[in-house]
Amino acid sequence: MRLKVNGQEREAQEGTLLLDLVEVPTLCHHPHTETKGLCRLCLVEVGGRLVPACATEAQEGMEVRTDTEGLRALRRTLLEWLALATDLSQAPSLLELLEAHQGQPQRWGGLGLTRKEREPIRDNPFFLRDYAKCVNCRRCVDACGDGIMGVYALTLEDRGLLAHPTTPLDRPLPETPCVFCGNCIQVCPTGALRPLSMEV
Amino acid sequence: MRTTCPYCGVGCQVEPRLREGRIVEVRGAEIPPNHGALCVKGRFGLDFPFSKKRLLYPMVRESRQEPFRRVSWEEALDHAARKLLEVLQRKGPKALAVFPSAKTTNEEVYLAQKLARALLGTNHVDHCSRLCHSSSTAALSRSLGGASMTNPIEDIWKTDLFLVVGSNTTETHPVIGAMIKKRVRQGARLLVVDPRYTGMAEAATLWLRPRPGTDLFLFNAMARYILEEGLWDQEYVKERTEGFAEWQASLDPYTLEEAERLTGVEKEKIALAARLYATTERAGAYWAMGLTQHTKGTATVQALVNLALLTGKVGREGAGLNPLRGQNNVQGAGDMGGLPDVFPGYLKVSDVTARRRFEALWGVSLNPEPGLRMTEVFAAIPEVEALYLIGEDPVTSEPYQDHLKAKLEALPFLIVQDILENETTPFAHVVLPAASFLEKDGTFTNTDRRVQRVRKILDPPGEARPDWWITRELGKRLAQALGRPWTLHPGPEAIWEEIRRAVPEMMGGITYRRLEEQGVRWPCPQEDHPGEAVLFRQRFNTPSGKARFIPVHFTPPAETPSEEYPLVLSTGRVLYHWHGGTLSRNSRLQEAYPELKVEVNPKDAQRLGIGDGEPIQVVSRRGRIRARAWVTDRTPEGVVYAPFHFAEAPANRLTQDALDPISRIPEYKVAAVRLEKLD
Repeated sequence: MRLKVNGQEREAQEGTLLLDLVEVPTLCHHPHTETKGLCRLCLVEVGGRLVPACATEAQEGMEVRTDTEGLRALRRTLLEWLALATDLSQAPSLLELLEAHQGQPQRWGGLGLTRKEREPIRDNPFFLRDYAKCVNCRRCVDACGDGIMGVYALTLEDRGLLAHPTTPLDRPLPETPCVFCGNCIQVCPTGALRPLSMEV
Repeated sequence: MRTTCPYCGVGCQVEPRLREGRIVEVRGAEIPPNHGALCVKGRFGLDFPFSKKRLLYPMVRESRQEPFRRVSWEEALDHAARKLLEVLQRKGPKALAVFPSAKTTNEEVYLAQKLARALLGTNHVDHCSRLCHSSSTAALSRSLGGASMTNPIEDIWKTDLFLVVGSNTTETHPVIGAMIKKRVRQGARLLVVDPRYTGMAEAATLWLRPRPGTDLFLFNAMARYILEEGLWDQEYVKERTEGFAEWQASLDPYTLEEAERLTGVEKEKIALAARLYATTERAGAYWAMGLTQHTKGTATVQALVNLALLTGKVGREGAGLNPLRGQNNVQGAGDMGGLPDVFPGYLKVSDVTARRRFEALWGVSLNPEPGLRMTEVFAAIPEVEALYLIGEDPVTSEPYQDHLKAKLEALPFLIVQDILENETTPFAHVVLPAASFLEKDGTFTNTDRRVQRVRKILDPPGEARPDWWITRELGKRLAQALGRPWTLHPGPEAIWEEIRRAVPEMMGGITYRRLEEQGVRWPCPQEDHPGEAVLFRQRFNTPSGKARFIPVHFTPPAETPSEEYPLVLSTGRVLYHWHGGTLSRNSRLQEAYPELKVEVNPKDAQRLGIGDGEPIQVVSRRGRIRARAWVTDRTPEGVVYAPFHFAEAPANRLTQDALDPISRIPEYKVAAVRLEKLD
């Protein structure tokens, strides 16, 4: 099929995700966890509407714009809010992205609600959960659940700015079905989940 | 840097990240077979090479009464060679045995069996898969002429029904367990046959809970029902199999009613399982030790093979017969000839053509008589006088531990070559410190026949050396004394090149260069061959090209419960540990599961007045061990379950050394025991 990306003709196979066709940042999308459509960083414009490139398949005759002024402003704002709410110190790729978008988190003043004060949780011999660094991308929840393991030891609680991953009923991990496969660590993009062996 | 996980047969590709000589993180590589996923052992259990228990220097002593003496490599190897030659000259090749290990690389197993056959002239060569899948190997070889998974791991995504029998997949092959569960979430059915309520049983569409050791009856009853109902694949049976009529006649006694009485599974459930398996085209059978570790292990696997043939499941995508191999290189250790009756490539030592091939390659004449199997070698001590053990810990892994220890006491000469001190080291005369998987190059072959690279990331500690180097150097000394040829390979790749020449039909197309990117499956005869995924699409590996039905009959386990020993003990593994525990209990995993817990059904516990977490003793006719009771209905009434990882409370002190007549595997899954409260 044929479609246009930023005015240029492109060829694509049936079922191709826009994300695989265009150059846009993404945070939550992960092929194995099947997480998609959450972080909004990969939004693109299709016929005047904003759609997430990670959850939208290419279609015949589509006209896709990836780099409008509006999209740039949106991405910059999203990244700034992430930086305000979350400790990105162990997420070098997000920091780079923030810089590339000339993000200035300070311009929003302080956010009333941030995760940055949360203490890391050490409740098992293998890894810690440092939710001060979490950006709610949900990959860990999906890796533990439907995406890879089918174990469901992690879940997302609350909504909006209060949303955060945790265990069912906030139990310590050893009291959940967790099998400590660490696939949640592998897909975590920010270092919120990391092996204890890194701490020494 | 990418390498292959050293725990189970899945063969996950791991990327350990090191800082200052320590592993700080392990990531799963984004390539087959695991595509980024790992389990707790691969992710957090790779730090055993840093254990304080590492063997660091060669050591020698004249007798077991003396302390070990640290010596140079020269002295240790000279001494070991001299002792082996002494036994050889005095008693001949029958008094010597070499056990390579399914934890070492293909190259190392190849070299070890070559040393045994070409230099010592003995076929007493075997390795630890004798104790795990030898029953599968025997049954599959007799019927299909091949002994490996018939289908690749990727076929899980094409399978519509899984028949998982006697495999605690989510704990023993967790990455495959997770794949099967995911496929079930996508809509496939899962039939689980297991006395224990495992993670697989929890995810099952239909769970059959037979009494331990009765699976054979169940499979035969399923086959009989499928025949009665006309659900079998008549064309397949006619075109691709032989021996059907005789086998069919043998099924007469296996009615659903009898099956219900004997197995304890309701006959409606057996019928439903049979119907679902027979009528689903892409139905794959997966199994492990629950089937094989019985005195009728071979017969039980055979019954499953018969069932698959009857319904036309072998040689088709998304189906097949898939034994889940245990150790990281069990498949490879067999492929490389680490067995008493075959050369590399499963070519029989008794076959003159095969023998000529290896005689030409190695430049020596070879012994045509198949050797003893591992369990038989131990029984033959002190007729067998010298044993060269590589990465094996029989004191922990063999059944009836006290008996085995007495045998080792009586063994005149024992070489232990290993990375860590274990329960067998105290019986050694020579200790040779080996390099761990992180410290050497080579290849492992995973459960679905994929040859994958192992890469050197660290230098070995102390004076430890790779197994291939040690075997090569020992071989050099033996060869010089015997006046026989022995190739001094400069490294693993050169050994692999010899393997390619030895079995070109199997490995000819697999080069280290090809393996850079990802593993390649055998058979792979040429370099432009992609490697075979599904075996037996057209013909079987038997002389006629047809698969054989073989009648098998139910026999009860060697030991049944009595008044004095009213419970059945089954042994196995837990997620956090690996076999004898030598690796996992010297890693971070130990913290998560520090001591032996024995599963006891709540009804038994109540009757005996045992509470959850209480200390108890498990007693069999052969010995007793101390444990903590875990009261749980994971195990059925009348059955206690003990993992065998704990040297201080070894489950194998309790197990019996009754053997399967064909595979010579011990009956680890059934022993009569009683529980005693400890105050």
